[in-house]
Amino acid sequence: MHEISLVRNIFRTLEDEYPGEISKIRGIHLTVGLLSNVQPILMQNAFEAVLEDVPYYRQTSLLVEVLPVLIYCDDCDINTEVKNYKFVCSCGKPSRNIVQGEELLITKVEFADE
Amino acid sequence: MSTPKSNRAPVGSVQCENTSLNLLKANDFVAKIIRDRLQEMLVINICSAPGSGKTTLMQETGKLLKDRLNMAVLVGDPETERDAIRMKEVGINALQIVTGGMCHIEAQMILQALDHINLNGVDVLFIENVGNLVCPAAFDLGEDFRVTVISCTEGDDKPKKYPRMFLTSELMLVSKSDLLPYIPFSVDAVTKDARDINPDLEVITISSLKGEGLDKWCEWLMNKVKNKKENLIMVNN
Repeated sequence: MHEISLVRNIFRTLEDEYPGEISKIRGIHLTVGLLSNVQPILMQNAFEAVLEDVPYYRQTSLLVEVLPVLIYCDDCDINTEVKNYKFVCSCGKPSRNIVQGEELLITKVEFADE
Repeated sequence: MSTPKSNRAPVGSVQCENTSLNLLKANDFVAKIIRDRLQEMLVINICSAPGSGKTTLMQETGKLLKDRLNMAVLVGDPETERDAIRMKEVGINALQIVTGGMCHIEAQMILQALDHINLNGVDVLFIENVGNLVCPAAFDLGEDFRVTVISCTEGDDKPKKYPRMFLTSELMLVSKSDLLPYIPFSVDAVTKDARDINPDLEVITISSLKGEGLDKWCEWLMNKVKNKKENLIMVNN
């Protein structure tokens, strides 16, 4: 979905967070939950495409990590990975308590050491 | 699971900073402003694939509840004002949001639209989203509830293909039920598929053309409006 606008959001977010340091950024680590509908390959392509227009990021690389969906079960006090979009604990009880899988986060930024 | 880094890998030594910057922070911030501003009315975000009957449902809802409820509709489409015109024809207070090709509505578009529609005395504001079961699921528009419409001609295997939409919805309306005798679609199967994802999902089967189920839908709506108003009174006291 709309990967190009997400890439622009990444740049906007970094510009807000690190004013004046943008030219030193060398690496951006993105963590996306499976439920965010973000495809890493498409994200990578969109990143390369947007760089054509914004030269000051050309020394920057993007790394996208996908996290599986985890739900928490009150009864068992454990997290279970959601497979095949069945939101059910291994004990059989359904749960909407999602503890992981909706992320759309910049988790790490690498800067050039001057 | 991760993709390899692009070949533009950094040279020289690098300092790392760990962060947790939410990419949808701007949208979520605006959604909160909308939620604060629209405390006096129920806000429903209606989502579905294109052509499931969202606009027809709005027209029929407007006709059925015109003496009981003051409703308004913000309707999003990539192009044209056709849907807003269709709703105004039956007397509904509607405003078109043309997204200019975009596949979803973002909170900022709603906030801007609020200045161009008269919401005095409105009990329920519908946001009829762009027809798309993927992208709109990620964008909070400041709504109280999300309602997903799925028409029976789309097939009963859809919920698991678009899990996030059904996960974040309160109610699923199975529309065009007047066609059920002619097509291989099972309301039970679509309900089971959707409740695998969201066990709390409410389901109502409707036909906007023939009227089936619209009484249940209107009752659901009237209840939610009533609850919202009662909560508002409690908060203000």
